[in-house]
Amino acid sequence: MLAIFKREFLSYFRSPVGYVAIAIFSFLSGFIFYSQFSTGAVNIGSEVISLRSFFVIIVPIITMGLLADDKKRGTDILYYTTPVSLFSVVVGKVLAAFALFVIMFINVVIHIIVTVGCGGAFGVGAVGTIIVFFFMAFMFISMGLFASAITDNQIVSAIVAFIIILITQLLTVIAGYAGTAASSIASMLGAKTASAYHIGSAVKKAIAWFDPFVKTQDFRLGVFSVSSLVFLVSIGVLFMYLTFRVLEKKRWSQS
Amino acid sequence: MSNKSAKQNKQTDNRADKLKLYSIGSVVILIGIIVLVNILFDGIFGKSLSFDFSDYGQNTISQPTQDFIDSLPADAHIRIVGLFNRPDNVSGTPYQYIIPLLDDYVKKSDGKITVEYVDLTENPGIITQLDPSNTYDLASNIDNFVIEYNGRLKIIAPIDCYSFDEDRYYSTGVYYITGNNTEYIFTNNMNMLTSNYLCKAYIVSGLKEDGSFYITQILNSMSIDVEELPSSDNFTIPEDCNLLILNGPNADISEKMYVAMSDYLKNGGKIFVAVNFNLKNVTERFERLNLLLNEMNVNIDPALINENDPGYQRSGYTIDHTVTATDSFVEYASVPYIHATYSRSISVYNNPNSGATAVPVLKTSNNATLTEFDNSGNALENSTDTTNQYYVGMFAFGQGYNAAKVFVYGTTNLTSDEYISGYGMNDVNVEFFRSSIRELTSSMSTADINVATKNVDNFSLNSTKVSTSSSTLIMVIFMIFIPVILVGAAVIVYAKRKNL
Repeated sequence: MLAIFKREFLSYFRSPVGYVAIAIFSFLSGFIFYSQFSTGAVNIGSEVISLRSFFVIIVPIITMGLLADDKKRGTDILYYTTPVSLFSVVVGKVLAAFALFVIMFINVVIHIIVTVGCGGAFGVGAVGTIIVFFFMAFMFISMGLFASAITDNQIVSAIVAFIIILITQLLTVIAGYAGTAASSIASMLGAKTASAYHIGSAVKKAIAWFDPFVKTQDFRLGVFSVSSLVFLVSIGVLFMYLTFRVLEKKRWSQS
Repeated sequence: MSNKSAKQNKQTDNRADKLKLYSIGSVVILIGIIVLVNILFDGIFGKSLSFDFSDYGQNTISQPTQDFIDSLPADAHIRIVGLFNRPDNVSGTPYQYIIPLLDDYVKKSDGKITVEYVDLTENPGIITQLDPSNTYDLASNIDNFVIEYNGRLKIIAPIDCYSFDEDRYYSTGVYYITGNNTEYIFTNNMNMLTSNYLCKAYIVSGLKEDGSFYITQILNSMSIDVEELPSSDNFTIPEDCNLLILNGPNADISEKMYVAMSDYLKNGGKIFVAVNFNLKNVTERFERLNLLLNEMNVNIDPALINENDPGYQRSGYTIDHTVTATDSFVEYASVPYIHATYSRSISVYNNPNSGATAVPVLKTSNNATLTEFDNSGNALENSTDTTNQYYVGMFAFGQGYNAAKVFVYGTTNLTSDEYISGYGMNDVNVEFFRSSIRELTSSMSTADINVATKNVDNFSLNSTKVSTSSSTLIMVIFMIFIPVILVGAAVIVYAKRKNL
């Protein structure tokens, strides 16, 4: 696993991908920081939480080549023939992408130093947002890795990762539409107005329950909820397992 | 050979099918486990493993509130209803410091307090459920909170929960929040609702006045029991009277009433009077009422106020205008600008025998005039010449702990059903009325629970270090310099390795 981690992590800097990803992250985080700084008040917690919105851009770039590139080159055969478990392969690749996020986050650390140097506040609440940022990064990296596992084309992999993350970001909006649709269908099928409302509301709540952004929204207010972190880890583990299953399928269909 | 190959293929297909089934089954089971674990974890540990890391404990109730909740009976149920859908993101909204705190009320109340959010447009039935008689006009309270306890309601607007820089508000129209009173407001309102009536008010009737429906509701919500006291030949003030209210009388009090009220005042009585100037009382000089009020150094003048300052006028009318609270009373409402219509002038009456002190409460601009009327209701000539500042409210108090106190207002916009029905129970005039009542009943009403105002989060930078040039420097370094360096590195790496 360590060897895979090392190989993947260094590969980010042996190709333009790592630099470009960090450059984009630097620009976006810099933009948020500058927007706050110019008003004379910087809330690091708010900056970090806002950065979650850019996972949809950053994560596909980082994860698109993790498995798709190996498949394209045919080097993925090594995973199936060497005495290394496929789950170690998956974990190693996730950790490599995660490590790149840690490197990226140095930008925010510099912002924190500048903020404190300028007399601004950096409290425990902001630390909570940083913790949730990394948990969320882990979850989205797992999603991106899964997208990379199902194709041998990096572009397709990036597009699939983009769509999965975008859907995750828009879950609340989707839930709203689904709730309205369910309510309308219930009305058409003869349900009373109150019942239709409750059906729509239940559908909306059921879908919105999966929205990680809503679950972690209050972190910026200083609310630190362990159950939200458990949720992020669960989803991350689920996608890692899905990736593992995809690789397993490939291994056993080699004959 | 071909049979062997077919057998092998069949075996492979079987194995692939089993593998597929195993994959799908294991994923479905894992999803089920994940959903179940999360629901259980959230249900069992969600509240206990939720921590408030905010700098000033914005999202946590303090000990006085916890003590209040603990003191409630085990079967008490306070229902808080937000008349809107719970926002997904409260940051930057007026609910930022309210909704997370309410979650903490629920978490620590052991079922005594519940919070729900109901959109009035989606579920209008909540109005009749909470307020069957539509006393509180909940339909006009979208975006506000309602606290309900045993059928009694309190309505809280988000802005009620904050202190703000009033100077900045008046100059810019923008609320600049300086303090967070959310916990104070909610806890004390719950305390009022759950406490028994500690105080009794009598509203004098039979003086050709209009109704007092709304102020009865308001007083009830302040834990004050209200009863009507009809004027009669046998008029007496009951012994349990803590507060006597004359709401918009259009006729003077009788001699008998004067005597009873005078005795009442001498024994430390509290009286609230609101009169205005209208067609029904244009010739009324309130001579006996004035005799009573003169004992407290206050006088109701037989004159209509004309506000000539356009800045104070509302819609350009001199008789429909704003009056401002004097310095001692600016805290009586979130905004010390009171709407007054057809107001009478209330003045200080220098009674040499009175030990009372009268202080103005509401004042006009310096550019107001008075129109005086004769006994026939005709405006006196030259009565509008004197431009001056006049008073529309006066507070008088005697000496000692349980001394008499009197509020006299020359406008009924604080108390009339007509005004409150039009402007609602949270109007600034109603706020002012509540504060006046609190002053009169301060020794009797429920003591406030002492919850400290919390500071709002302050992320301001040192102003000496934030300038246009430093902002530009930040932009250049973080948005241009660092990204360009990194892109340059990417180009170099690509150029060096493209042929490998």
